[in-house]
Amino acid sequence: MNLLQNFPIGQYVPGHSFIHRLDPRCKLLYVLIFAVLVFMANDGLSYAILALFTLLIMKGSSISYRYILRGLKPVWFLLALTFLLHVLMTKGGTVYLAWGWLTVEAEGVRQAVFISVRLALLALFSSLLTLTTSPLELADGLERLLHPLSRVGVPVHEIALMLTIALRFIPTLLDETDKIIKAQASRGIDFETGGLWKRLRNLVAIVVPLFVSAFRRAEELALAMEARGYRGGEGRTKLRQLRFTWRDLLAFGIALILFAVIGWVRR
Amino acid sequence: MPIIFEQVTHIYGAGTPFEKEALSAVSFAIPDEAFVGIIGQTGSGKSTLVQHLNGLLKPTRGRIQVGDWQIEPSSRLPAEFRSNVGLVFQYPEHQLFEETVAKDVAFGPRNLGLSEEAALLRAKEALETVGLSYDELKDRSPFHLSGGQMRRVALAGVLAMQSKVLVLDEPTAGLDPAGRKEILEAIYRIHRERKLTTFLVTHSMEEASRYADFLLVMAEGKVVLQGTPAEVFAEEELLRHHALAVPQTVELIQQINASLPGEQQIPVTLFREEELQDYLLHRLRQTRAVIIPE
Repeated sequence: MNLLQNFPIGQYVPGHSFIHRLDPRCKLLYVLIFAVLVFMANDGLSYAILALFTLLIMKGSSISYRYILRGLKPVWFLLALTFLLHVLMTKGGTVYLAWGWLTVEAEGVRQAVFISVRLALLALFSSLLTLTTSPLELADGLERLLHPLSRVGVPVHEIALMLTIALRFIPTLLDETDKIIKAQASRGIDFETGGLWKRLRNLVAIVVPLFVSAFRRAEELALAMEARGYRGGEGRTKLRQLRFTWRDLLAFGIALILFAVIGWVRR
Repeated sequence: MPIIFEQVTHIYGAGTPFEKEALSAVSFAIPDEAFVGIIGQTGSGKSTLVQHLNGLLKPTRGRIQVGDWQIEPSSRLPAEFRSNVGLVFQYPEHQLFEETVAKDVAFGPRNLGLSEEAALLRAKEALETVGLSYDELKDRSPFHLSGGQMRRVALAGVLAMQSKVLVLDEPTAGLDPAGRKEILEAIYRIHRERKLTTFLVTHSMEEASRYADFLLVMAEGKVVLQGTPAEVFAEEELLRHHALAVPQTVELIQQINASLPGEQQIPVTLFREEELQDYLLHRLRQTRAVIIPE
């Protein structure tokens, strides 16, 4: 019944591993770098190197492989679909199988494998970012990285704050939903049977209390922030200053080496 | 309905880094029509325990018997099972959603398959049980009531289902003393009238001692003490060890006893306020007759 158990999309797992202690800016940039690397790669060897690298990072995060892979659940369907479409649609090379106009050809299999590996690696890597970085750090890092944009009038601080609050409240709202579902189930709501109309009608019993509580929370939060003197980003100082350390330097060094290696082995 | 827990363990988030054993091998047996107080600190597993009573949570290990129903880790419970046990959550007013008070209270009975008319009749009855006027409130929005009224409407929403077992998870949290007493008295009255089996989760030893005839004391997911209030309050040291205290009445008796000779000791079983009051008045009259003869 507990929603949180079935919803581990990149939920932060506190820890002190090497990956956890990297600067969030470094980790954010790394996801971009990795995306570029994944799109540079175009043969078995370069993908193998990147997969190995991802595995290393997974190991370095000291979060169990099983838990990380569970977080990919929402992506499985997308992966399967991509694989299937490429296998069936891309033509060229030896024909392995054919039913009428549906054929499986060598080029298709190659494309299907590469594209799904590409997607899987990207999903894994970005989920590692949220698994090892607390929402607060993430928003902090993003704010600092986007800071130059505030010169041209982009409300960077406000965006970062919205992001922080949104991320912060996902588990709270899930918890709340769980509670409301249970409370209404105790009042005899049956979610499993009945026609579509009845089920939609049942949903009202969950959505209305959820909205009421979300608005209440928003109001309380705004009040609490004002009570503590929040006046927007202007002149605001931070308790925790972000600082690049030798770890981040090492990470960027590794990125450079990866670029060189992938550039060299790719066809 | 008699209720039996046998070695019930519940683990949240099994197989994730957030795994937590909320109940560990909890066993107890509650006779029919008992009023059970569940006491314990925040996070001691009280809420997890009560959610097992109507099958919202299933045990990870162990076995539960509610009346004729068996709940085991692999049990699939029919929807009608839940109507046996009325569960009132913490801050139940957060579950209100209908446009009018009458509709909201009638929601449970309607889900049981009652006709609109019968459901509204139950709503009327339930609202009056918790001390609210049906005619005055029936067409008002539940969101425009005071906090205490909302709480009572929500409580009525569960009472209207007329289940044989009633479970209340801190029904008085956040209410003022007068509101607390009124709600608890209403619950106690229904408990007696309808011969219910009632579970009351609470932080307050006073509330527990006043109404319960059986107590479960929980700490760190285990039942560390169980028995009649008199038996439980006798274990003062163990209670203190779990950061719980005996009720103020018991404390008062102990303090008076400390300065009384052995044969004049007040029995500690008089932990109900009224009983203690009557007893003390009686004693005072007697002593006065001795000390002040005029």
